Formats: sequence, C-alpha cells, structure tokens
Amino acid sequence: MTNTTISVHLDINGRHHDLALEPRVTLLDALRDRLGLTGTKKGCDHGQCGACTVHVDGERVLACLTLAAQVEGRAVTTIEGLAREGETHPVQAAFLEQDAFQCGYCTPGQIMSAVACIREGHAGSDEEIREYMAGNLCRCGAYPHIVSAVRQAAQEAAS
Amino acid sequence: MTVHIKSHGDASDGAFAEAVGGRLSRVDGPAKITGAARYAVEQQLDGLVHAVLVDSTIAAGRVRAIETARAEAAPGVLKVLTPDSIVGLRTASDWFGTPPPDKPYFPLARDITFSGQHVAAVVAETFEQAVAAAALIEISYDETPAIVDLNDAKAGDGIPVDAMTKEWGDAPAAFAAAPVRICAAYNTPREYQAPMEPHGLIARWEDDRLTVWEPSQWLDGMARTYAEWFSVPFENVRLVSPYIGGGFGSKALALSHGAVAAYAARMLGRPVKLVLTRPQTFTGYGGRAATRQTVTIGAAQDGLIQSIVHRGVNETSIDGMWVEPLGSVTSIMYATPNFSSRQNVVRVNSVVPGAMRAPGENPSAFGIECAIDELAYEVGIDPLEIRLRNYAEQDPHARKAWSTRQLREAFATGAERFGWAARTPKPRSMRDGNQLIGWGVAAGTYPVRRAHGEAIVRILADGSVEVESSSIDMGQGTYTILAQTAAETLGVPADSVVVKLGDSRFPRAGVTGGSRLAGVMTGAVYKAATSALDQLVGLAISDPRSPFHALQANTLVVANGRIASPRGDGPDVSIAELLSGIGLDRIEASGDTMPANSTAEDRYKNYTTISMALPHTEGDYSRHSWCAHFIEVRVDEDFGTVRVSRVVSALDSGRLYNPKLAESQWKGGIIMGIGQALLEEGIVDRRHGRIVNNNLADYLVPTNADIPDIEVISVGIPDPHSSALGGKGVGELAIVGVAPAIANAVFHATGKRIRDLPITLEKLI
Amino acid sequence: MKDFSYIRAATADAARQAAALPGAMLLAGGTTLIDLAKCGVAKPDSLIDITHLNGLDRIEVDERGATIGALAKMSHVADHAGIKSQFPAISEALWQAASAQIRNMATIGGNLMQRTRCPYFRDPANFPACNKRNPGSGCSAIGGVTRGHAVLGTSEACIATYPGDLAAALVAFDAMIHLGERRISVDAFFLLPGSTPDREHAMEPGEMITAIEIPASATARRSTYVKIRDRQSYEFAAASAAVGIEFEPDGRTIRDLRVALGGVATKPWRARAVEDALKGKVLEPEAIRAASLLAVEGAVDHGANRYKIELAPRVVARAILKLGETT
Repeated sequence: MTNTTISVHLDINGRHHDLALEPRVTLLDALRDRLGLTGTKKGCDHGQCGACTVHVDGERVLACLTLAAQVEGRAVTTIEGLAREGETHPVQAAFLEQDAFQCGYCTPGQIMSAVACIREGHAGSDEEIREYMAGNLCRCGAYPHIVSAVRQAAQEAAS
Repeated sequence: MTVHIKSHGDASDGAFAEAVGGRLSRVDGPAKITGAARYAVEQQLDGLVHAVLVDSTIAAGRVRAIETARAEAAPGVLKVLTPDSIVGLRTASDWFGTPPPDKPYFPLARDITFSGQHVAAVVAETFEQAVAAAALIEISYDETPAIVDLNDAKAGDGIPVDAMTKEWGDAPAAFAAAPVRICAAYNTPREYQAPMEPHGLIARWEDDRLTVWEPSQWLDGMARTYAEWFSVPFENVRLVSPYIGGGFGSKALALSHGAVAAYAARMLGRPVKLVLTRPQTFTGYGGRAATRQTVTIGAAQDGLIQSIVHRGVNETSIDGMWVEPLGSVTSIMYATPNFSSRQNVVRVNSVVPGAMRAPGENPSAFGIECAIDELAYEVGIDPLEIRLRNYAEQDPHARKAWSTRQLREAFATGAERFGWAARTPKPRSMRDGNQLIGWGVAAGTYPVRRAHGEAIVRILADGSVEVESSSIDMGQGTYTILAQTAAETLGVPADSVVVKLGDSRFPRAGVTGGSRLAGVMTGAVYKAATSALDQLVGLAISDPRSPFHALQANTLVVANGRIASPRGDGPDVSIAELLSGIGLDRIEASGDTMPANSTAEDRYKNYTTISMALPHTEGDYSRHSWCAHFIEVRVDEDFGTVRVSRVVSALDSGRLYNPKLAESQWKGGIIMGIGQALLEEGIVDRRHGRIVNNNLADYLVPTNADIPDIEVISVGIPDPHSSALGGKGVGELAIVGVAPAIANAVFHATGKRIRDLPITLEKLI
Repeated sequence: MKDFSYIRAATADAARQAAALPGAMLLAGGTTLIDLAKCGVAKPDSLIDITHLNGLDRIEVDERGATIGALAKMSHVADHAGIKSQFPAISEALWQAASAQIRNMATIGGNLMQRTRCPYFRDPANFPACNKRNPGSGCSAIGGVTRGHAVLGTSEACIATYPGDLAAALVAFDAMIHLGERRISVDAFFLLPGSTPDREHAMEPGEMITAIEIPASATARRSTYVKIRDRQSYEFAAASAAVGIEFEPDGRTIRDLRVALGGVATKPWRARAVEDALKGKVLEPEAIRAASLLAVEGAVDHGANRYKIELAPRVVARAILKLGETT
C-alpha cells in the first residue's frame, strides 16, 4: 500500500524545490527530512517551544504546525537563508557576541524570531523584547543574553 | 610555555581572550547561529527509515495481547516490533560497571511497571507513515493496582539506604536539649530535564559493527551498553554526538528506545531513526525523583546550631534504584557538633528517576537552606548573619580542610551588590502597590568530581592544531575551552585550533556530568599539548635541518604560532615553516590524566563506568564549589503570582577557564532554579499513575518573560587541589540554593512559608 | 497523523460546500487543527485550506465599530491602530495570547474555534473516555487532575475550560459573528456543555465564520484585559477578565460596565451580575471587590481548580480598578 502524494512547489531561501509529498507532511518535516535543511529544529512538534520558527512571507511562524502544502506560493526563509552573500546577519553576530545560547538547539528559532521581533517593532524595551521573545523556550537559560543580543541588533538596525 | 596559575585575586585571570581564562566567544558558535551545526539525528543517510514507539497506558500489570495486523497492513510499514520480536539481547552492566545478571534484555515490555513504558514499535519508510501506523496498534492489558507516588498508602516507608547515613555526636539528644527548636517538612515534586532537543538516535549496522548517532553526555559509557546488549565487542560500537541539544543529566545513559532502534536497524539491514515525542520524553527516561525531607534544628538563642536531624525519602521505580542524596548539603553547609541524616527510597510505579542538574545537592539545599531561614526568624537574627555565625570552617562531616571555600566572600560580595543591608526584616514590610516585595538569601554547593580523560593534540603542516577527544559539548563550552587550552599551551592563536569532539573513535573521556569534564579535559589537553610542544621545540633545537640548529639553544619560545629564541636574537619562523624545513607533516602527542601505572582494564573502567571517579574528600582536602544567591521576588497580593525581579549571585567555581561561558552556565542554572521554585512539577493522575502534563505547554519551564536581569559575580580563586588548571565545577553549582532563596524571599514578602515546590499561586492566594 | 487529502479552496462558497462533506474540515492557521491531528483528536479525511482566499482578512474600524475578517491574523488585529484605540481590551487579549509566532498564523475565525486544553481531551490513546470527543464515553477529567478545569458552566458530562482570550473580550462588548449572511452573538455562538459537550458552537454544517463585528461603545474605548497565569507569558489563563467601563460626567459614577471572564468557564463568560451590581455606583475599591464576587456565582469546583473561584473575582476587581485609575 502507498499513500497518495501531491506535487508541492516550495520557495525556500530563494530557491525552488519540487517535492512529491503526502498532504500531511508539515513544513518542518519537509525541511528536515526531505530537503536536508536541518537548521530548523524540532523541539515539541506541537507549537509549544518555538524551535521550528521560520519566516513565511517575512513573518515568523511555526513550521511544525504548518503543512508544507500550505506555503506553496509563499516565500519561506529558514536560518540557512538568513545570511546574505556569506555575511552573517547582525542578529546572528549579536547572538555570538552576547553568548546568547549554549547547546544551540533553540538558537535558529530564537534568531529567526529575533529578526522578526525587531522588524515588527517589538524590540523597543527589554520588557517588550522579553514578552515578544517568550514564544521561544531556551532550557539552557540564555534568556538574559538573548535580550542583550536583540537589544544590540535592534539598536544597530535603528542607527 | 607553561600555564601560570595565579594564586590570588579574581579567578577570571584578566587574560586575553584566547588564553585560558579569557572571554573567547564560543568556537562552535558560528555553526550554531547559521544552522550548519548538524545534531545527531540530523544526519542524512541513504535508506534511512523511521521508527515510532507505542507506550503502555497502564502503570502496572501485564500486556495481554497486541493487535498489530492493521499497523502491519498500513502503507509504508516495514516492521512492527512487539516484546516477543526482540530476542537475543543481553542485560547490560550499570554505570558503576557492576557485572550484569546473566539474563535477556527486553527493551519492549510485557510486564508493565509504569505508564509510558515502551511496548511496541513501528518502522516505516517515512516518519508520517510510522506515526499513522503506530496509532493503529491496539494493546490490551491485565491491570494490577499501582503505587502511584510517594504519598500512596501502599508505598510504605521504603527501603533504608545505609550508605546515605551520616551521623556524629548525639543529634536527637542535643536537639531535645536545645533552647530553640525548629522542625519542618520540605517536599519537591517530580521535575524534568526537558532539554530542547528530544532524545533519539539513528542506528546503522555494517556487518557486526554498529554506528549510533545519538545525543550523548557519555559516548564511551553508552557504547559499552550497546556492545553488551548486542554481545559485540566494545570496539565495534561507534557513538557519534557532535552537538547535543541540552542534557542536564538526561543523556548520559543508553535507554531502551536506543535498543529498539538498533535492533530494528539490524533486523531490516537499514539505518533506523527513532526520536521520542515530547510527551515520551517524560517517561522514556527519569526526571528528578520526588523527594520529602524533614529538617530539625536545635540551636542556642544566639542562633548557633547545636544539632541537625535530617530524614529524607526519594522515590525510585519498581525495578530500578535511584538514590537522590538528600543529606549532601545538609551535612556540610553549617558547623554543628551533633548531626544525623538518614534516607529511605520508596518504590513507585514510575520510570526509574535519573540525574537532573545537581542531583542530591539541589533538593538537599532546599531543605537546609529554608530551615536555616526559619531558624533565623525564630531567633530574630538576619538570615545572612545566621549563616555566617554557623559558618563551617572545615568539612564538618569529613573533618578535613576545605581545598578552597570562598563562601564568606560570596556572601559579602553578593550582599553588597544586592544592597542586602537595606532589607527590613519583618515579613510583608516591603511593597510597591499591589506587589509585596521579598528579599531572600540561600547558599549552594556542589562537590568537585574528578575523573580522567585522554586527548590527542596534533600540530599539522600548515601550523594549525587539531585536538581530539570523545568528550562532548552540550553547551558548557568544551570546544572553546579546549581550544583555549591548546592555544595557550602551544603558543598559537585560538582560531588555528580545531577541536573535534563527540566521536567515540577519538581518545576517550568519561561521563560529562557532575561538572567534571572541564577540569578533566583541560588537564588532558594541557598534558598532550605540552608533550607536543616539547617535541616541536626539541626538533627545532636538534634537527640538523632546523634554522635553530646552529643556535645551540636550550629552549625556544613559541608564541602566536611562531618560534624564536628567548632573547630574540636568532631566526623567527612560523611553525609551518619549521615543519616544512625539517620535512615533517605533523607532530602528534597524546596525553591523559590517568595514573602512570594504569592498565588497559583500568582505562576501560575509567571511561565506561563511574567507578574510578576520585572522591571529593580524597587525601587532605574536601573539595567543593560554593555560591550565595540573593533574590528579590514580587508577589501580587491578590493573585498570589510570584515573579523574580532581581538576582545577584556570587559564585566560587575556582579558576574560570572562560568567564564568558561560565557566566552563561551559571545564569542557566539560576534560571532552571527559578523554574523549579515557581513552575515545574510533574503532575500525576493518581487514578492512572500517569503524568498528565507531559508536554511543554503544561509542564511549565520559564520563558524569556519570566527572567529578569541576573548578575553573577565570580569570587573563586584557583584551587590546585581540584584540577590541573585550578578550576572547580561550574554547571551544576548555580541551581543549588536558588529555590530556597526564592522560598525565603516569598516568606519575607508574604509571611507565608511554602515548603512544597513549586510555589504556585494557589498556595499563596 | 492520519492520511488526508488537501484541497485549496478557490472561493469562500466553494470552501463552505467542500467543508460540508463528511470528514472535511476547514484549515486556516492550523495552530489548533494540526496540533489536534497530531494528538489523534482531529481525524479529518480532507482539509479545505482557506488561507489563500482573498478579502477575508480585512480589519475595518469606524465610528460604528469594527469589522474583522475571519482570516485576519491575531497579530495584525492586536497591532491595528484602530483596534488599539477603540477596543484596547481586544488588542490586549490578543497580544497576551499564545506566542508571536502563533499569533502570526492563527486567524480570528480560527481563534474562536480553538478547542479546550483539557489534557484528557487531548490524549485519546491514554484516556478513551471523553464526552466531548466521544459522546457518552464519560469524562476522564472529573476525579482527575483538574487544576486547569472550569468552575463555571460545567456539567456532569464535561468540565473542560474554553481556553481563548479573545472570545472573552468579544462577549463583553456584544460582538456578533458573521456566518456568511447569518449573524449570531458571540454569547449565543458558544454553547454550554450540558449533556452534549461535543456540540461547542451554534454553527450548522456548511457554515463558516466570515467576519466578526464589534459595535463601538464607550465601554469598549475604555477597556482592558487582565490575564493571570503561572508563567508571565505563553500560557493559557488561570483566570482573566475583559472589562470596559463608562463613567458619568462626574468621572466617578459608573454609567455602564462590561465584565467577562476567561480561563474559568466552559465558554466565554459574561458576568452580568457584576455589571448590574455596579451600574450607577461610585467607583470605590471595597464596593468593587464585593460586587466582583458575583462573577463566580454558582461556581462549582473539582478540587484542584478551587483557587479559580477565589482568583477570578480578584482579577475582575483589579481590571475595574485599573480602568478607574486611567482617566
């Protein structure tokens, strides 16, 4: 027996991918298992941790609760697509400088969330950063340094 | 070059970033911020298939029947495994290396001792197919009554653990005679490590050789277990774990899901990937055991302790044994002429509990550090002052001098930075509108665990350096501090050092747990690098092709990757130029910290068991890290919600190999402690013996919004008795004492003494 | 997840028709549906994706009120200038819900349709009995771990809490749900569990939420949403209150008041008894606290959720007093 697959055309980090997928395949599993883009992490698979945060049409969303088929025709950006021409994104650089991670597993999701947080205009104060980064759990406890990194990158973006 | 250990002052050395003690940014950072870091189960292998587990829904009983036909007929399914399909595995030894009983091992269970035990597995071509087919398996049971938790009437008093008994003087009599007496019970619930990366693995067989990609805190220990399960030589098992997405104690041992995946891989002749679902991570291995303690303190009116009587209980599983040493802090934190601590374990129908950040010390400190706060209020002495009055000038249990104990400095520095002197002692005396404000203090400690490790250091033809070790980096910074150690020892820039970890083919290391790895591995790399440097300088002096040959020098200086004479009057060449000149493509040296006469068997035992670890009270000294936490909470008077608003912690981890990374670990421990104090609790449905909040929406860990700025201050000094380079433990220490500091602050804020963690709003409303 | 087919709807009418077929379900943001499909609770045969429909995500605010398209994202509504100024409680209820990522996915229509977080409802493999999932099978929650369960509007068949924040704010301000041509109040849209907890909404097969309409009012303009929970963020409410207030010209006497509760009831819970007790009264803390107790009239606890009966009135009182402070 086999399952019915559908043809799905995905635009990920500016590249087109044609996949034959079962409709139930999530964007997260398509990225990790089919495309080898393992920078997007699976922490809970139920929208409870934020490790799978990616951008769809520039907005941060959770890949674990998004069907791959749903994002056909939309632009998906993952952590692998954040750097431009080999130059790390200022948020990535700030995370390294501030030591805003330890094990690194939540880090791609944190960074994708932070980039969007700044773009949304929700990085105006430490309190606002904490609230708008609360959807990305970090069990190593890098939170104070994540706040520092987002603050630093937001200030750089504003200057 | 030699590593100079400063004997005084700030343990962060003030060194330049690349040297030991410097604030070098994580060398594995670029891979982690770009998504390039490939964690164990992210390997992309040809022919990979996916396994999904089906777990028991009862806590006690026996599997009557398993209906697999629908799952077997489902699309993509390659194999359905049940308890009967796994034959020929042997029980493995435990982590002490105790020879195992000669009996078969069944990673899928027919006899059920806890809810969530693995019963069946489905292997399919795709993850989605395996998940869907697993839902089609129907299991029926003959259920028997379960002991659901410590409070179950059937649980009884448990089994005394004599090895935990610590007694001196006559504690009960001294307590009875004491003018001031306090007695209280302190409880901690089941808590879970909840690393962001779930447990899982990819297993692949090539003939009788097994490769396992699995997040691991202990490659060699896990390799031993797989080898014993499958009756293959230890050398035939390779564990690969380049990055680990958090462990906190939970990833040190091979677990039954690993046996299932490896078995399926051998059966199918294909690599099998199996990852626990988030709910399965609450029963696939044990979190911190629930504990109960009673602490009684007898004291004089001036607060001087005369007696401590401590009784502890922790839960363990029906057929496994976990002892959470509850008297570990109680017995050393304060001076007392009379002391008694005893402990029982109680069997309940749960997965066997396991190690979670500072096992033992963490709940132990919750008892004694709350109790001394209660004593302070009983006698009307400041909680900080009473700790200083009862300061233990030596280890009261081992009766040995402390190797180093900067706890007095931690209290002084922390209090000053926190502004403790401005505290008004009376409960409910500080407020801001609806918010009651409380300030609490507590101390923490963790023993220095020491073991041995091996490393290879290679100087390559281009002057770059390779370091190899089977130790791991789960975020503590092993990659970085070993690069710093090699760089400083050899006199090369840190960015010319490549550290390779997480492969059991590399020189071996013991378990990464108990905050021992940094001390062990910096020592091993230091030795290997020193040996490589000696070879390099020796060749430069003696080889006829060397430009230094004519110099007749006794020694040479290597700095910034270049070699020169000490007086600078001769040639000055790069390491690459020298090696090319003398026709060598590499210099390689291995180093280890094992005693010189160690046998191969000693080495095997050292790296694959914990039986060779050195006691922290070996020789003349008692070795521990120390800390003091000063914490402010705000409690909403109407809602009972507690928020931590300020933390100042002063910590003594001896010399810090990299303060930037050590500070991160300390803050992480404090944050996990905030979760423990206020949020975290595995809640059991007592009808079913099952954890119902087995996910990250219901088992609450702190979010970014729960955490204020945290100030950590190093007050350590290099401790030559604790490690080769002067460091003590970092990672476990900082969580110890956080929960009692918060509970004490909550008492100060509200006048309510909460002795059951977590301190949730209904306990204060 | 069980296998299903995926259909991208071309028009709203086509979506409604497709979704009326047995086994079909509408898919919008997916934050509830995909989650529950993974739990084995939702078992659709086909999903009708409506996220690509045009024109259903508009947010319009004028002097008569706000009309929010069913496909407007929670985050966009929360940040909308008109919503923030005319309906602060709506904005606050939204930005305090879930996480920034989920608010970028979840739609307003889908938000109303979110299901309970009852752990027994969400785990069919371990707890087959659930009257909401499987009518007549019993309730696993009663007698179990009930810390998050409802104290208001419960029945012997179900004590599951309606978890949403937005709906509490909507019910306070008499919002209407547009089901195509049909209009229904939010209060009437949500059903009490009674003996049929599987029926959660007054929606018929083939109907689909197309918009939400919130009438403008003085109470909505001066409103707030206070949400109390164990964690500071990213958690459902232990208790919450949507409150709006209008004063007489003296600035002290309450002319109109709206109070609704979240996190404590089986549906978004309008607390009219509190409103009635305080209309015409002068804003005074003791009177507010006393009247707020009426919010939990008739509440029934199941052990571990007893604290909610204490907590909810305090949340109401805090919200009212907070609005009194801001003049």
